[in-house]
Amino acid sequence: MTINGLIHQFVVDPERVLLDILREDLGLTSAKQGCDRKGQCGACTVIVNDKAVLSCLTRAAALDGARVITVEGLGTPENPHLIQHAFVLAGAIQCGYCTPGMIMATKALLDANPEPGTEEIKKALQRNLCRCTGYKTIIEAVKLSGRFIRGEITPDEVRPKKTGSVLGVSHPRPSAMPKACGSAQFTADIRLQGALELAVLRSGVPHARIVSIDASEAEKMPGVAGVMKASDIKGTNLLKIDAAEILCKDKVHCVGDPITIVAAETLAQAEAALSAIKVDLEMLPVLDNPTAALANDAVRIHADLPNVCYEQPVIKGNAEEALRNSAAVVEARFNTQINHAAPLEQEATVVYWEDEGEEGDAKLVVVGRSINIHAHLGMLQEAVGWENMSYIEAYSGGQFGIKAHIASEGIAAAAAVHFKRPIRYIPSLAESMLMTTKCMAFQMDVKLGADAEGNLTAYCNDILADKGPYYFDAGIVRALMTLSGSYHIPNINARGRMVCTNNPFAGAVRGNGQPQVGFALECAIDMLADKLGIDPFEFRFQNSLRPGQGTAIGWIAKEWPFPEVMRALRPHYERAVQEAKLHQSDRVKRGVGLGAGAHGVGKTGEGATAAVELDADGGITVYAAAADPGEGNDSMLSQLTAEYMNIPLEKVRLRTRDTGDTAASGPAAGSRITYMIGGALINALEQLKAAMWKVGAKTSEKLIAAGKPSRYVGRKKNEDGEPMDPQTGQGPGFVSEIHGVQLVELEVDTASGEVTILKITTAVDSGTVIHPQNLTGQLEGGMDMGVGYALREMYVAGKTRDWVTFKFPRIQQSFEMETILVQTPRAKGPFGATGVGEMCMVPTAPAVTNAIRNAVGVWICDLPATPDKIRAALAARKK
Amino acid sequence: MQVRVIGGRKLFFDREGFLNDFEQWSEELFDLLANECGLLVIGEVHWRVIRFLREFYAVNGRVPLNRQLREGTGMSLLELEKLFPEGIRQGARRLAGLPNPKGCL
Repeated sequence: MTINGLIHQFVVDPERVLLDILREDLGLTSAKQGCDRKGQCGACTVIVNDKAVLSCLTRAAALDGARVITVEGLGTPENPHLIQHAFVLAGAIQCGYCTPGMIMATKALLDANPEPGTEEIKKALQRNLCRCTGYKTIIEAVKLSGRFIRGEITPDEVRPKKTGSVLGVSHPRPSAMPKACGSAQFTADIRLQGALELAVLRSGVPHARIVSIDASEAEKMPGVAGVMKASDIKGTNLLKIDAAEILCKDKVHCVGDPITIVAAETLAQAEAALSAIKVDLEMLPVLDNPTAALANDAVRIHADLPNVCYEQPVIKGNAEEALRNSAAVVEARFNTQINHAAPLEQEATVVYWEDEGEEGDAKLVVVGRSINIHAHLGMLQEAVGWENMSYIEAYSGGQFGIKAHIASEGIAAAAAVHFKRPIRYIPSLAESMLMTTKCMAFQMDVKLGADAEGNLTAYCNDILADKGPYYFDAGIVRALMTLSGSYHIPNINARGRMVCTNNPFAGAVRGNGQPQVGFALECAIDMLADKLGIDPFEFRFQNSLRPGQGTAIGWIAKEWPFPEVMRALRPHYERAVQEAKLHQSDRVKRGVGLGAGAHGVGKTGEGATAAVELDADGGITVYAAAADPGEGNDSMLSQLTAEYMNIPLEKVRLRTRDTGDTAASGPAAGSRITYMIGGALINALEQLKAAMWKVGAKTSEKLIAAGKPSRYVGRKKNEDGEPMDPQTGQGPGFVSEIHGVQLVELEVDTASGEVTILKITTAVDSGTVIHPQNLTGQLEGGMDMGVGYALREMYVAGKTRDWVTFKFPRIQQSFEMETILVQTPRAKGPFGATGVGEMCMVPTAPAVTNAIRNAVGVWICDLPATPDKIRAALAARKK
Repeated sequence: MQVRVIGGRKLFFDREGFLNDFEQWSEELFDLLANECGLLVIGEVHWRVIRFLREFYAVNGRVPLNRQLREGTGMSLLELEKLFPEGIRQGARRLAGLPNPKGCL
């Protein structure tokens, strides 16, 4: 067959597919595997004989004489194809894992139809999934590709001009073109000579004691280098952030817990040997819901940790008395589901050795998916018992919080230390789902009251959060810190309890506790507005917190531009309400809903570092471990540096991926990177600029000759504060907030219960905008994700195994989106900026369910709002 | 989080006793923390390690690997581990005011 213009001849096994040939035989790794070869994700899309095909399902033996094109055959970063230009310039590339497949599907479409409409584009890309970017911008990129190809406009005419300020301008991301051309290496793309492949035996039951493991037969099987148990791990075997073991020693605590590792010369050999391992498990009682875990006679999951592993009240004023004196009170129970964050890439790690200089002190290099490489390095060193180690962040296929937790790295590094060989651990999608933390399920009993004038008086929320078996309290703490959302509520009585169960273990997922408490509060706000007969928009606007007032935890707000955001949305809301009145039929009802939120950025006492160095040509290299699994942190670092130092973007170099040369800047989580690491960067640049100015140097050579260092470390340190009071929960809050409100327009089919989202409009204020495309990209991708969370997605261990059972949002379900940017510069943000990445997840789900209520009159308080639940609610109302 | 008042200043430490702010460290604080963990006799050799750790962190924004610490101090790993009651990771680094190697930051 001909591949990218070159003739190749293969003798192939009938079972091999085109994806194997491309990736394994030819090293053409642009085509990705993202769905266990089930044809569900489209990341492997290539063109065969002028048609887009899924290379994971295409048998190689059937391709005799075929013409194959991959994204490597379209163009290179130096000489890209017009479609690659279009995807970069449209801002349609975030993590980049789906991008080569998207581009190839686009090429096949445009070759046949140079001017497709939106529906034709949706049809052509219907097999391609994206989690980060949102489908709106991908559709725009296809249309821009068409305009380029038809010669209506050129990339140079679209590309921002390199004159004037670089802030507020969507200059192409430094990482975008390598992703568009397939030259960005994700972990599974890295080939290591002589590497062992791993397969891991995981628990199929949620709670059991490990009685014995017999691997004697497996160890004799062809190609097997050995089988590892917990006792073979040299270090502590503990991953501190979750208190989870790399391999379970005595007990398994949830489905998917790892028990043994098989290392073999090939993955097939490792997987074959897994089935020969005999594990004797003694079943233990299972706690499958938090309420069961509260019972006095409930089995204890950990001997040294009570089932109620975290409990914190939040008390302000006298909520019970205020509710008694309120003109209106609403009361409801809200439930959110366990959910998977769903990055498209599997949770892969590769590990190799280097610097074999001194005996017993070789360097172990871990390449993986971490968004906190220095902290994860520290944990891995102790857990696997090897100190001379570095961690390199590969290009990473989305994350949404779960890569704040170690997943595959512990197993791969422990195996490398044990077998003294390089290791490739590329788990399947099904296994990746089993090994990763999940969005925590909350049960919330809520009371909300207001006086006759519509002023909020009191709020009660009794939260029971399902932690799964391993401890991590950041989600429940954030939920309590942001309990009162955007509003001033003078009296609060809340309690947050986090409970250990045998359900999947929960961790940070986009918003990390805020989407859950936001859902309860924003639905209760609509319920109360309804009871008082006040428009829900006016009710929100009236009750906004104002600077000088305190949040639920008594944190006094200094900046709170929520009313400005509401004002910006008002005409859109009024238009939507009018249009909804005009579009009603007997069966299909249109509704309008609102959701708001204030997402916290930067904790009290938190710090970040970044280093800068003046280069010989007057350029600047930034050294900061600012992970970028798709958000565009490369743009942020580059544009802040270029702006502050008044140098061209091309002269800014970024070193962000390796613990060996970066400053430890903290996690790419909590929407903190721009505010915290951007702040540290500006501090470093201030020092450099002052030194350069003092001696009149513009290059490193002249600066050093003048007796000044060429490298400076900058810090951003938030003021320290007392911890949350254990009795009242009063204490310090976040040092900055993103403010947003979303307007959802949807239709509900009253017969089927199906919901069709028509449009979501987001008004947001995250301070000065550095890169508009990156900012709207976060919001748009988040809207698709938020609607998935609101309507369809949930994770059931053992049953959710792929993208179909997960109900991954697809391009056919995409909808119109509009973003309104309000820019209130933040006093302590770099050039007035703060973060934005998680804001979109806070308001979407309640805005959707509030719109459902507006359409058909039923409250759905239990996420996801599936057609079954809507039909049941409608039927109950009729009775 | 632990809050302690030392020398009239309110200082913040994490659960494992690591100082929250590298810049709040002082030689007096080192003396106190060293005393608390049983390091009663402090010599030039200890200061060589502490100075190296702090200078490395100040210039690089990260903690050194043991290999870099060995090269920087001219001492063997065994000597370094013995020098501080809780070794290098939990001992020397903590006394030097460097962040917790396993902390979020």
